[in-house]
Amino acid sequence: MIRKIAKKEFLLNLMTFKFAMGTILCMVLMAVFVPILAKDYQQRLKIYNDNVARNEAELRKVKVYKNITPTIYRPPALLSVFSAGLEKQLGDSARIELGSIPEVDAAPTGDNLYLSIFTVLDASLILKIVLSLLAILIAYDSISGEKERGTLRLILANRTARHQVLLGKLLAGVVTLIVPTTIAFVVGILVVELSPMADLTWSGWTRIGLMYLASLIFISAMYNIGLLFSCLANRPAISLILGLFFWVVCVVVIPNASVYTATRIRPLEPKAKTDGQVALLRSEINPETRRQIRQTVDIQSYQNMSESDVPGAFGHWYVRGCSKDFFECYQKTNPVTEPLRIKYADKIWEVESGYLKSVLKQRQLADNLSRISPIFSYENATSILAGTDLASFQYFVNRAKAYRNQIVEYIRSKTNNFSSPSYFTTCSIEDVLEYEKDWGAKRRRDEKTFDPPLNLEDLPLCIYRLDLTESVRKAIPDLALLIFANVLFFSLSFVTFMKGDVR
Amino acid sequence: MTRRVMFKEILENLLSLRFVLSLVLVICLFAASGFVFVGKFAEQSADYWAETNRNLSSLREECSNALYRAAFYRQTIWREPKLLSLCAEGFEKSLPNCFRSDAFASDLPQVKGRGNFALPHFSDIDWVFIISTVLSFVALVLTYDSMSGEKEAGTLRLMLANTIPRYKVLLGKYFGSMFTLAIPLIAGLLVSLIIVISSKHVAIDAAAWLKIFAVTILSLLYLSIFVFLGMFVSSRSAHSSNCMVLLLVVWVVLVILLPGGGRIFAEISSQSPTQVELERRLDEVGKEIWDNSEKFGKNAGNMSSDPNDPDNNPPARARLKTALTNATNQVRDDHHSRLLAQALTGRNLTCISPVAIYARASEAVAGTGINRCADIYRKVREYQAALKEYVRSKDLEDPASLHLVNPELSTARSWRAISHNPVDFDTVPKFQERDLALGQSLKLAIWDIGLLLLFNLVFFAAAFVSFLRYDVR
Repeated sequence: MIRKIAKKEFLLNLMTFKFAMGTILCMVLMAVFVPILAKDYQQRLKIYNDNVARNEAELRKVKVYKNITPTIYRPPALLSVFSAGLEKQLGDSARIELGSIPEVDAAPTGDNLYLSIFTVLDASLILKIVLSLLAILIAYDSISGEKERGTLRLILANRTARHQVLLGKLLAGVVTLIVPTTIAFVVGILVVELSPMADLTWSGWTRIGLMYLASLIFISAMYNIGLLFSCLANRPAISLILGLFFWVVCVVVIPNASVYTATRIRPLEPKAKTDGQVALLRSEINPETRRQIRQTVDIQSYQNMSESDVPGAFGHWYVRGCSKDFFECYQKTNPVTEPLRIKYADKIWEVESGYLKSVLKQRQLADNLSRISPIFSYENATSILAGTDLASFQYFVNRAKAYRNQIVEYIRSKTNNFSSPSYFTTCSIEDVLEYEKDWGAKRRRDEKTFDPPLNLEDLPLCIYRLDLTESVRKAIPDLALLIFANVLFFSLSFVTFMKGDVR
Repeated sequence: MTRRVMFKEILENLLSLRFVLSLVLVICLFAASGFVFVGKFAEQSADYWAETNRNLSSLREECSNALYRAAFYRQTIWREPKLLSLCAEGFEKSLPNCFRSDAFASDLPQVKGRGNFALPHFSDIDWVFIISTVLSFVALVLTYDSMSGEKEAGTLRLMLANTIPRYKVLLGKYFGSMFTLAIPLIAGLLVSLIIVISSKHVAIDAAAWLKIFAVTILSLLYLSIFVFLGMFVSSRSAHSSNCMVLLLVVWVVLVILLPGGGRIFAEISSQSPTQVELERRLDEVGKEIWDNSEKFGKNAGNMSSDPNDPDNNPPARARLKTALTNATNQVRDDHHSRLLAQALTGRNLTCISPVAIYARASEAVAGTGINRCADIYRKVREYQAALKEYVRSKDLEDPASLHLVNPELSTARSWRAISHNPVDFDTVPKFQERDLALGQSLKLAIWDIGLLLLFNLVFFAAAFVSFLRYDVR
């Protein structure tokens, strides 16, 4: 019986103007916007590839260990076409240095601050707005319409149970809505696949599949909401108005209001305060370094501190030739000063991470408030699956932090705790002695020869790959919330319909 | 007769569920916007005055030390929170709010303060947001069945069986809907204003009242577009549910999708000028000037702390440094105007939608938004020139100075290129941002107002023609 009702309802739905309109709109919007978004992704991918290539070229030029300060870049997420999330808003590079721990960089490189007058547009915006609206439009007269036309009492005059009618309607609605959703996804995937860029891996396909699944749960939740209003009201006009107002509150009011409320409930300290503390710590570094140096070496005994620098990799300089005093002094002081720099980097990070924590707490609060609206849960779930949510970004920052520690350890092991001359210069002790004898001659000769770059084959690589199972695990709460919304609204409409007057 | 149709329409609307729902929703939103604004304004004002006073007291200290120190003091100029951001906030919270400058050069504008970069971009619940999204939606909900609904109920043919011309029915319905719509609008505005006035942090002066009035008129003009649109669609179709679907589609596209596309339009139409590019340009300019340093005079490249050292050539050095700073300033200005142009192009492209036009016009009237930020940057540059001129004139009064006002701190200090005498803090020019008068603001918005009128006219004509040819049976 359920099947019969569902089939009838489904066929009726297919013939309606709203269904045709919604499906065409979904298709057209996806066909117009996805190519634009894909082109945008390609641009970002190109910038990313250029950056990585430049970084590698610089790495090949490194002559001394001190100059190893590579930058790691966050690859743009292909699925940002489907759900842009925070992809463009957050930093996409981290410089690996001895003296600082990579921190969250608010603006990505090359970002135009003035572009923040626009909201973000992605395929999920189209899906969530158009499909949720369509779900409500299809659901609003499913019960109240039949009530008005008088067909509902005819159905129930037969031996059809009320729950069968309701389940049939739900089934029909969901099946109807699957059609535009599927069309939108197919159009989106086709456009992405046809444009010349990185192919989708199986994990990408799985992610898209899960997004599709999330979309289905989401539209079914929205349909259930429409169904509830349809059961509540006696006339379809009223259920439509109720449904639409609910929708406007969900789409427009809650997302903006919750973010705003979060900034009021948990206001941030001005960044300047943290900056002040950091500046204070930085100003301590030099005096502390001098004090430590005085404790370890007798600085007065080194008279001749002459050296000549040449530009090296990553915009740094390195010591090409120096006096014996310089050579010996730095071998003794580096094991003291470099750990000190690392120590201060940790201290500064502590201050900055305090600020970061308050930033993230605010965001967390805003998210939790937004979850009243099923549309936000859906949006959040898709951005997690697309790898463009805040957690993916944090993963990048953590990865950069871990990589920085690896690099520091690598340099430490290679240079015997920074005491080896290869840490800061390409000269050996013989070169230095030669220098002492005839500074000019050696220098003239050096201008013609080039130092060989360091062999960095065993340099640890930074691998940034989002784990699929991890993403799925993070998306579960939001998906569960959506399923809960389904159950809740369906049971509410069930109760209303069971007790309602069908005349 | 028009009046009678109008009254009937108003009374019918007033008793409907949709009107009650809209009234409640709109008043709640306006009340929220009032409370939100009061809290935000108090916090921002406190921050602003703390920072500004800190800046001025440091400037005062530098003035009492020496003229050259005042000239080289990097002032931090903050954007003042504005009362009228209550009407149109214009995404100011994510736009640059901090401008740094001394007498010779300024940094590019920055975003500082309490902003949270991890939050999604959101629009503040200001009046423009409520009116442009929620009230436009209400306008459509009120009008979607104005013709087709009466046709379905069979009352339209009864009405037209009398000696009433169709255009009178149309006008009656239009004014009826506009009056109904004005009720939540005015009630909401009043609630919001009462909340704002009753707080102790805010005082609204006469000029601001006038601007608030102008924004209200703009809002009515904007809502009228949607009323005409609703009536147009309503007299194109026989079924009111189809009208609703069509109107919702139009609403989603106009209000949500098109304004959201601005960023994409901007990024596709022109490439963002990047920081790397800026630094490369700065390097090139600097290198070129340093390489040709002899052009500015013999030994222009040299600088040792002894002014009488024969290797030094102070006038040439000053010319070199001035040329260098002018060139880098030029590069920064170019970069800034490219950033701005990119955003403005995107915005102009979104102006197919009345929402963007309305937002732009209200921002112009309220004096907020992106144009204000660009304007402050320009004023900071003007202020910087004025300060330099002031330093030059004060410097002439000191016989011990070399009278070489140039952007190199070390020569100013060791050679006395700029006077070391203290100056009176009160005579030093200070940065001030003046509000435009209503007339000037309206002049800025004149194109947008024209466009809004045009939209009204087009949809009116469409509704008129469609209704004249409407089959009322």
